[in-house]
Amino acid sequence: MADKILKKADLGKLIESVTGKGGRFVAPTTDSRQIVFKKVKSAEEIATDYILARNSFKEFLFPQTEVVAEFTLGKDTVDMRGVEVHAPQTVIFGARPCEAASLKGMHALFTWDFIDEFYTKREDNTVVVTVGCTKADDACFCTTVNLSPASTEGADVYLREAGESYTVEAITDKGKKFVEAHAAVFGSGSVKADPLVMPEKIANIDLAKVSERLKDKTHYDDKVWPKLTRKCIGCGACTFVCPTCRCFDIVDEGTAFEGERRKNWDSCQYDTFTLHASGHNPREHQHQRWRNRFMCKFNFFPEKFSGKGCVGCGRCVRVCPVRLDITEVMEEFSK
Amino acid sequence: MNNIYLPNLVTIEDIYEEAPDVRSFRLVFKDPKLRDTFEFKTGQFGLYSAFGLGESTFCIASSPTRKGYIQCTFRKSGRVTGGLAQLSIGDTMGFRGPYGNHFPVDEWKGKNIVFVAGGIGLPPVRSVIWNVLDRREDFGHITIVYGAKTVADLVYKEELKHWEARGDVTLVQTVDPGGQTADWKGKVGFVPTVLKEAAPKAENTVAVTCGPPIMIKFVLNALLELGFEEESVYTTLENRMKCGVGKCGRCNVGDIYVCKEGPVYTAAEIKRMYNDF
Ligand SMILES: Cc1cc2nc3c(=O)[nH]c(=O)nc-3n(C[C@H](O)[C@H](O)[C@H](O)COP(=O)(O)OP(=O)(O)OC[C@H]3O[C@@H](n4cnc5c(N)ncnc54)[C@H](O)[C@@H]3O)c2cc1C
Ligand code: SF4
Ligand code: SF4
Ligand code: FES
Repeated sequence: MADKILKKADLGKLIESVTGKGGRFVAPTTDSRQIVFKKVKSAEEIATDYILARNSFKEFLFPQTEVVAEFTLGKDTVDMRGVEVHAPQTVIFGARPCEAASLKGMHALFTWDFIDEFYTKREDNTVVVTVGCTKADDACFCTTVNLSPASTEGADVYLREAGESYTVEAITDKGKKFVEAHAAVFGSGSVKADPLVMPEKIANIDLAKVSERLKDKTHYDDKVWPKLTRKCIGCGACTFVCPTCRCFDIVDEGTAFEGERRKNWDSCQYDTFTLHASGHNPREHQHQRWRNRFMCKFNFFPEKFSGKGCVGCGRCVRVCPVRLDITEVMEEFSK
Repeated sequence: MNNIYLPNLVTIEDIYEEAPDVRSFRLVFKDPKLRDTFEFKTGQFGLYSAFGLGESTFCIASSPTRKGYIQCTFRKSGRVTGGLAQLSIGDTMGFRGPYGNHFPVDEWKGKNIVFVAGGIGLPPVRSVIWNVLDRREDFGHITIVYGAKTVADLVYKEELKHWEARGDVTLVQTVDPGGQTADWKGKVGFVPTVLKEAAPKAENTVAVTCGPPIMIKFVLNALLELGFEEESVYTTLENRMKCGVGKCGRCNVGDIYVCKEGPVYTAAEIKRMYNDF
């Protein structure tokens, strides 16, 4: 049996096939000169030449803001209603293998004891189609965190560029069903995949060593933290673009009579994140907040949720206004 | 859909003014089924909503031995607590919970218990006190050391009178120097000092302490000096929380999510944690 392929010229048909059944099709698009994941209606909108979208696709599973409940206050009445999660059938197309690897940890966190159905219902209805990378930049470091453009962790369907086509490999049952459901679009044939481009492994980083060093609690008050992270201005950009960051706030919005309760993205890099009402703040200084982020990536998140805390996508490195490079801190902790 | 962020509606059945800016609500679930079936353990907390303003974390200050209602005691200190403070008897608010771990009260049977609390740290301790007093015969000697800045700042004034009048509880009350009134009959001095003077014996004794972080620090030292073991001293952490269910990521002390694995810890466990609270 010949292998499944997808002709690039048939991408439009795939979009139609998905949206025709009421689903949404999300892909990297060229938007104001940046590549961003967006809902698309036609193949023309999809970026063809990109390394990685600037945002992570996490917002289609865990939106920046979402209503979890609504309330109405009358003269003598209070009504609070939960809302149903908006979880349309979704295809994330053109994600990279690194970012798909974030999903395992995300799932573990949102289902840890209490199940957050706002996440799981969307996850159930989402098919992640990754495309192996044929380009990398100097911020990419997936190979340093034991991933690569060939990784299929978290992907439902894994594609590789092959000239005018993609090779198609269904990874999960969900992926197989997706390929079957749109069988008319996928062809078969034998095409040769273009070579993957592997970012060079950063020689001075030893992930096991980083994890080992962080386990020793004495590093907590080490001067190395303020020294390495002094220039951080606490803007939080690194956490918003990161595919594994998932901290949020819960806030009420509305008038005195009706309104909604929302889950909004938040960032551990903000000074108010952990501020107590008494004025006491366990992470008062920016370097303590940076330390928390680093610890989350390489110490407690992987240990607690056995998922990857950092997938080496390099987004935080690209977006940081002061060029604070997480790999430099990894190097320091590899010593 | 099971919505973990959706609170239950509760009615404020009674309000008690405890101290300046501190009040207690006695809350009853609107849903009669929940009223009958709701269970919690001493030391657990909840998220209390003032609609339109948001949610705040308070411990459940009543004891699970008292069924049919829950009580919370809070200090007006911001947006949500300010909104809650404006509610009256009969008003509706929201409650999610119970969350977190609890004091292992059942394991303390046959032991003496020393309670040490400061200011608004008494509410979580109060739940344990009533839990123990409602099964008084299960425990040995009971000592309560409680202090506040001033006489007016002491919370649960009626209950303090009751505990004082009971023959089976040793109650030591104190206020900070300068906080006493002309007719104050309690002690004058800081809680850790007064605790050392009271010198409860450490043998076969469990200590429960809650209060401002600085007080807890000195109380722990005082307890160790009195011969208490770190494994038998319990306290609760009050890291800022939003979700209460291990998702939002702000209550962590290093690798520990206080909302799920806490808020109750022994002094020995706290010593093993990252220095992040
Ligand atoms: C497990 C646990 C149990 C607790 N039990 C009790 C209890 O029994 N009783 C009790 O009184 N308290 C208790 N607390 C503390 C209580 O949760 C807080 O005091 C309360 O939530 C804060 O009140 P608020 O929501 O009104 O404040 P908010 O207005 O939400 O303020 C909270 C924080 O935000 C900051 N803030 C407010 N406005 C702004 C602004 N505009 N810009 C920047 N920052 C701002 C404040 O400085 C403060 O740090 C407990 C906490 C925990 C974690
Ligand atoms: S920490 Fe940076 S490199 Fe790692 S996954 Fe997050 S954004 Fe990507
Ligand atoms: S993007 Fe850079 S400056 Fe902004 S919080 Fe992250 S590390 Fe700090
Ligand atoms: S309060 Fe949200 S994770 Fe603990």
